Amino acid sequence: MVDVETDATHPEPMVNEDEPLLSNLDLFLFSLIAGLVIYWFMSRKKPEPIPEFKKLDTPTATSTRETSFIEKMKKTGKNIIVFYGSQTGTAEEFANRLSKDAQRYGMKGMAADPEEYDMAELSRLSEIENSLAIFCMATYGEGDPTDNAQDFYDWLQENDEEDLSGVNFTVFGLGNKTYEHYNAMGTYVDKRLEELGATRIFDLGMGDDDSNLEDDFVSWREQFWPAVCEHFGVEALGDDSSIRQYELKEHTDLNMNKVYTGEIGRIKSFENQKPPFDSKNPFLATVTVNRKLNKAGGRHLMHLELDITGSKIRYESGDHVAVFPTNDTALVTKLGQILDVDLDTVISLNNLDEESNKKHPFPCPTSYRTALTHYLDITHPPRTNVLYELAQYASDPQDQENMRKMASSSAEGKALYQSWVLDACRNILAILEDMPSLRPPMDHLCELLPRLQARYYSIASSSKIHPNSIHICAVVVEYETKTGRLHNGVATNWLKNKMVDNSHKSTVPMYIRKSQFRLPFKSTNPVVMVGPGTGIAPFVGFIQERGWLKEQGKEVGETVMFFGCRHKNEDFIYQEELEEAEKKEVLTKLHVAFSRDQEQKVYVQHLLRNNKEDIWRLVHSQNAHIYICGDAKNMAKDVQVAFYEIAEELGGLTRTQATDYIKKLMTKGRYSQDVWS
Amino acid sequence: MERTQSASNGDASEYGGKVEVLSPEDLSELLAAGTKEVHEKAENTQFVKDFLRGQIRKELFKLGAVALYYTYTAMEEEIERNKEHPYFAPLYFPQELHRHEALGRDLEYFYGPSWQSDISCSPATQLYVDRIHQIGEEDPVLLVAHAYTRYMGDLSGGQVLKKVAQRALKLPPTGEGLEFYQFEAVHSPKAFKQLYRSRMNELEVDVETKKKIVAEAVKAFQFNMEVFNELDEIGKSIQEEVLDAGMPVHGAGGDISKCPYYATKTAARGGTEYACQVAMAVLRHPTGQVLFAAWVAVLAGLAAWYLM
Repeated sequence: MVDVETDATHPEPMVNEDEPLLSNLDLFLFSLIAGLVIYWFMSRKKPEPIPEFKKLDTPTATSTRETSFIEKMKKTGKNIIVFYGSQTGTAEEFANRLSKDAQRYGMKGMAADPEEYDMAELSRLSEIENSLAIFCMATYGEGDPTDNAQDFYDWLQENDEEDLSGVNFTVFGLGNKTYEHYNAMGTYVDKRLEELGATRIFDLGMGDDDSNLEDDFVSWREQFWPAVCEHFGVEALGDDSSIRQYELKEHTDLNMNKVYTGEIGRIKSFENQKPPFDSKNPFLATVTVNRKLNKAGGRHLMHLELDITGSKIRYESGDHVAVFPTNDTALVTKLGQILDVDLDTVISLNNLDEESNKKHPFPCPTSYRTALTHYLDITHPPRTNVLYELAQYASDPQDQENMRKMASSSAEGKALYQSWVLDACRNILAILEDMPSLRPPMDHLCELLPRLQARYYSIASSSKIHPNSIHICAVVVEYETKTGRLHNGVATNWLKNKMVDNSHKSTVPMYIRKSQFRLPFKSTNPVVMVGPGTGIAPFVGFIQERGWLKEQGKEVGETVMFFGCRHKNEDFIYQEELEEAEKKEVLTKLHVAFSRDQEQKVYVQHLLRNNKEDIWRLVHSQNAHIYICGDAKNMAKDVQVAFYEIAEELGGLTRTQATDYIKKLMTKGRYSQDVWS
Repeated sequence: MERTQSASNGDASEYGGKVEVLSPEDLSELLAAGTKEVHEKAENTQFVKDFLRGQIRKELFKLGAVALYYTYTAMEEEIERNKEHPYFAPLYFPQELHRHEALGRDLEYFYGPSWQSDISCSPATQLYVDRIHQIGEEDPVLLVAHAYTRYMGDLSGGQVLKKVAQRALKLPPTGEGLEFYQFEAVHSPKAFKQLYRSRMNELEVDVETKKKIVAEAVKAFQFNMEVFNELDEIGKSIQEEVLDAGMPVHGAGGDISKCPYYATKTAARGGTEYACQVAMAVLRHPTGQVLFAAWVAVLAGLAAWYLM
């Protein structure tokens, strides 16, 4: 066999009738190779499936989720970013409003949740021109950051070497004074950013939810934007286009039935009176008594009685009566003259933001005269935001500059505003008179002026004795300002001029605001009342009520009154009533301080100290309730100190303990205050 | 929720024995101290914790309002019944405090004009309501415990809850649906709470009764917690979109055929379409490719063997 050798080395398939073409092993090997080849080809063609699986694991790495706020700002052309530390959404809402504000000043803002972004990028903010980071930080719990600001807070604390120079910032803090760590978060962020080298553009704003967070925010915001504009040298959207919120519409042939003539809510509500009466639907009470209380002296103290028969209004002694005053007609007329406007033009101011709930700044349609008389505050010195918006209407460049300066946060500007507007008590008319080049259009002015507010007076009567009559005790506000002008209190002068006349009825639109200033439930409980000047008002009601209880045969506890005035012969108001009550033993003790009847000043707090044993006995051993009414700034504080001193001396306490003692009385409702500034 | 209520508690030793402690038997102080622990517990229930974070679903909020409606209706009914009773009269403040009308308006907003026939009292709420009626009829001195627990809470933390709910449920800023939280006749919640405390302290009750009142207040908290837990349980069984939904499951260019839910749905529909889907799915997987190749190889081998 010649081919044997060839056969052994090269097992080529040879057609052989005796043997199969392919052995089993060959077949197996062949299919294995074929399979491997097929596999190799297929894996070459489709490499993507592996990465695709990986993509699903990290869904956030797509282009729609940017964790760099710097990149986001650059991409969307924003230069202002407003971070919010918010738990209940308030800070977030404020942040949104601030970011929207930006465009009014030619800038672009965005609100941002610090939890969603890499806050370590803060130092990069200087890469953006005219950039600013605003922080709306709420304090939560025991001075803690809100949940979404926790990481940012930790980052701030840990990174001492962080250099934030070139970063402009401002902080507005949201807090609540009833909590111990008031605005801790806002305060911390403001301080810390500065420590790390950032530049503060405007003062820390502090909002107090216990009082009025919205008001605090709006006031801060009004000063803030002018400061920002000044810092960046940015003008508010050009001199021609004014940033109006409302659009003027003049009506030429409107049915007078559709025009507001001073109503607060429903049109014609003063003609067709329907209960229930409240802040949106006041009752027109007739004035039945209007007499001067003091016998002499330069001031005018008055006692008024309002008839509420048929109104179904009920009140309790200690409640407040709210009245809706109107402005002095002469002042309104002068405004019309100086701006050369027909005040009887009927107009509407319609909100340009159609989605806003507030369609008009005051009830519309109405005339300019009605708006300036009933709806707008024209006597208080205007706020800085008003000056800023009006500046564009000053044709004299120096005037314009001064107006804008006063609205800025520069030290010079603040000082100018303080002296020229506040200290000099310049109202809008005075400003227009003293700045002849300033002549704004009447409608823009009406948009900017704040609403005329209702005034509250402590009711000076008891509903047990006078169920259909509400008594008011007030002193007319009038003084001469530094500019030689006469400043008259709006409501007190308006009340003073309410004549009691047979021919013509004087009415006062009013409603009752319930207070928490109440006599004790039990008539046997002793009371100590401190109410100098017009602070005596609620106590006139209290004493009437205790008298009535006595007449009903009830046992009445000790009733002690501390009153104060200037001169016994001039302004010892309600002297007859008080001495009568003393005679009848309704008033157990009446102490009166006449501050100016001797060389040294004698006030109620001196009398309190002089009677310390009595007071301590009543308060400490007999569960007496203490009531303070009148001036908040000085009298209330001085009286409180007098009580501390009595507690210290007769209770053997330290000042801290005495303070705690009185504070505890307040918490338990045994030391109440009805005070005003 | 209200944190520290009163100033520091002095004790006799601090005052050096000259002045006694400021009436530790004052009911207001006993109540504050006696409910401190259970108040913390209530704050820490899952329902309340979720609520404070804004994680409250509308359906649960509505059911919560229903529970409040039945509770306050019962409580205010008993208060009316006992308004002249010496053990409750000093605390009778219907104008300032009563909530059942405001709750009725809220329920009308949520459930429509036929709301009264659409709602019913849940088991946990019924227990609470029954207890209130029982004490109103049999032992009215304990009514103050329930009034204190609810109204003081409403005037404190209630204001926070209102803001949370408004934001989480996107309720209108004009206040519809949240009138329960608006105390129109209370100008200052702080001053009102002080007045309320002084009135509680005017009740002429002895030490034993005060202790009973405190115990009842703790019970009131517990009844409230039972309602929270009940709401929590209901919440688990409600099929509703989670309010803080994250990424869309199929959006942003995802391949729907990769979705297991979609596959399940198509499988349910059956048909060759499904078989093809599965086959294609298998083929895209590298392991599937190896198996397929190996399978082809085995088949080829078997075929060859068979043919030979």
